[in-house]
Amino acid sequence: MSKENTKQKSGNAFVSALKKSNMTAMAAILIVMIIIASVISPYFLDIYNLQSVLRDLAFIGIIGIAQSLLLLVGELDLSVGKIACLSGILSGMLMVNVGINPWMALIIGLFLGFLFGFINGIIITRLRLNSMVATIGMQGVYGGINLVITKGKAVTGIPADIQFLGKKALGPIPIPFVICIIVLVLVLFMIKKTKTGRYIYAIGNSKEAAKILGIKVDRIRVMIYSVVGLLSALAGLLYVCRLGSAQTAIGEDWPMNSIAASVIGGISLTGGVGNPAGALIGAAVITIIQNIIVLFGVNSYWQSAVSGIVVVLAISFSSISNIVRENRQKRIKLN
Amino acid sequence: MKILEAKKITKMFPGVVALDSVDVAFEPGEIHAIIGENGAGKSTLIKCLTGVYEPEEGIVEIGGENAMKNKSLFDKIAYVPQEIDLFTYMSVAENLFIPYEKSGVKGTVNQKELEKKAIPILKKFSIPVNPGDMVGDISVSSQQLLQIARATVHENYDVLMLDEPTTSLTTRDSKILFEIVEKIKAEGKAIIFISHKLEEIFQLADVITVFRNGKKVAYSNLKDVDTNWIIKQMTGRELDQNEKFYSTQVSDEVLMEVKGLTGERFTNISFSLKKGEILGFSGLVGAGRSELMQAIFGYLPVYKGSVKVDGKDWKLGDTNYSVKHGFIYLPEERKRQGILPVLSIRENISISVLDELKSGINISQKKEEELAQNVIETYDVKTPGSDKKIQFLSGGNQQKVIIGRAMASKPKLLVFDEPTKGIDVGTKTEIYRLMKKLAEEEGLGIIMISSEMEEIIKCSNRVITLYEGKISGEFSEHTEQQDILGAIIGINS
Repeated sequence: MSKENTKQKSGNAFVSALKKSNMTAMAAILIVMIIIASVISPYFLDIYNLQSVLRDLAFIGIIGIAQSLLLLVGELDLSVGKIACLSGILSGMLMVNVGINPWMALIIGLFLGFLFGFINGIIITRLRLNSMVATIGMQGVYGGINLVITKGKAVTGIPADIQFLGKKALGPIPIPFVICIIVLVLVLFMIKKTKTGRYIYAIGNSKEAAKILGIKVDRIRVMIYSVVGLLSALAGLLYVCRLGSAQTAIGEDWPMNSIAASVIGGISLTGGVGNPAGALIGAAVITIIQNIIVLFGVNSYWQSAVSGIVVVLAISFSSISNIVRENRQKRIKLN
Repeated sequence: MKILEAKKITKMFPGVVALDSVDVAFEPGEIHAIIGENGAGKSTLIKCLTGVYEPEEGIVEIGGENAMKNKSLFDKIAYVPQEIDLFTYMSVAENLFIPYEKSGVKGTVNQKELEKKAIPILKKFSIPVNPGDMVGDISVSSQQLLQIARATVHENYDVLMLDEPTTSLTTRDSKILFEIVEKIKAEGKAIIFISHKLEEIFQLADVITVFRNGKKVAYSNLKDVDTNWIIKQMTGRELDQNEKFYSTQVSDEVLMEVKGLTGERFTNISFSLKKGEILGFSGLVGAGRSELMQAIFGYLPVYKGSVKVDGKDWKLGDTNYSVKHGFIYLPEERKRQGILPVLSIRENISISVLDELKSGINISQKKEEELAQNVIETYDVKTPGSDKKIQFLSGGNQQKVIIGRAMASKPKLLVFDEPTKGIDVGTKTEIYRLMKKLAEEEGLGIIMISSEMEEIIKCSNRVITLYEGKISGEFSEHTEQQDILGAIIGINS
């Protein structure tokens, strides 16, 4: 009897912790995952492995944080991967083929990403398109341009003096992850402290109400698309630095991973709810799953399926806990 | 014999007891009116009676059986919600019979068959549409009637629950509705009628139950009571029925001058508004009143014409410009266009004055909270705190928050579009007094769009009527209701 009671109590505490916010729940689950991973595999806590996890995490993290901004207004961008790739290729060609200062080329690359995002935003707001369909189209465009100018070949010979951005670490922490954290802090400041941030939530709640409040809805939407383009380019350029070459396959799985990361982190697909920090937590969940699968030596043909299943489970987590809670209430009621 | 009965039901939400040990019973062949202020617990009661919420204590019995144990009993309650929730892109016939299992359509769905079956039902409810018409193309009034028809298609219902069924109906259609309700009553069904319009309740209902603060406070035969009794039970105080709310401080200065304005739903509109004046806009649902105001405000396009405010040309088509220059529009569609549902009350209030709340580029949380508390106190918003999401407030309290938000930005011109839609008598009076005060003390120009004749007459200094997008009449303070009504339905007197 008393055993039953304590079980009930701890169960309720768990459910109430989950109910508080999906993001904190996921943070808790993330910690549990880390503990399990380190118990099961001796290599997980290896400094080299942890560094590689953080490095992978940085890219999904940056893209996920960017994507979460769009999800907050109830839209999304499926061209983030192709924007990242194209910015990387163009910037790489400027360094290698044109021979301009690599730092200058990086800045131009960032600007190009901003421009691609801006184009997305203008098309979607002016023509009143659905963001998903429009960006499926645009990713075809950016990917196509990419193939035309590279003919599918990588741009090799990225100058060594900027490769440290992708390869080196600041103390034990890889530089891409440091940059990811800086991005998060800036985004969080904007979203939580500034007027623009409030307007973003307002637009996500109701575009009509926001317009009636006098908010320049379309201008803010274009601005978000532009920022998403800029951050995509940032991730793409860091990846080029990491590889030492600009590959045409960069960013293939970033659109899906960035959306999954945001949703796992408690950002609603319909807009208005969530915190971009959740996207980073979601990205960590995805990255660690992929790492664990590798450490376990799962057959490489199975890796994608297994990581897919775990992602679906992670996304369903809060709704499953709701179902469990409802059933329990029903049982208590009927007895 | 009682067909539906709630026994000692209590429903709690964090921080509030929404229903406090309520007993209420409904009998076949009887029209039972339910009334109460916003937040009195009516909506919660409906949700308990239709099985959406499970009460923490007490039970709901349907036909003498405990419905808590047998959820399928709730199928016997046909509920017609206040808002229209039809499938816009499906035909009238499809909307009537979905879900098909319940309306006796077996096997495959045959469009022709459905349309044939729909004809007698449309006739019974006097809905002037074809079964093949798309619902999005028929009038709001027809949609409302269709929604009620849909609820009665399922043969097994015993109780028909109507939640403010006349908010989007014209007087003519309300009459049709009442005839139908009488017919359904004669069939021996129990009818629950929820409405804020006392006139309708007296016209239609047999008995009345009054709610206040989550408690049932009175039950009576309608024959034995009068309007004052109901208002007193509802609000716990007496209200002066003859109180007038038009402004006594109308200035000679013209605030807004509209000339020859034409847009999609209105043609060649000219009028002026003075400082300190309350100008009423009356007309049928769909006459173009909201569209006109939204166009002046910049939300909808204007094809032709001009607007001057304070003698200066007004920029059209830009809501940001309007709000910045002190013109605020309070929409009729509060849920869709007014509130930011998942944000807190505080964030809903501060959103329009963020510039004033900044310290550096940061929004000061302290100033924001002060503003929110100020609005909550000034406008008497009933809430446990400013952190609560606005979607959980009752309609009247949401409206108060929105008015508070509008006032925080110190406007000079306010358009209230159906300001008291879905709001109870007590709160209505508060809103009227507030409008009067704003016009008299702050010299605001106020335009009020309303479909309620009584409210238009009580509050307006002048009344302009629209009929099919054109001005059909202008009336000064003490015009008789009858004359205005004529202009509304397009009869030139």
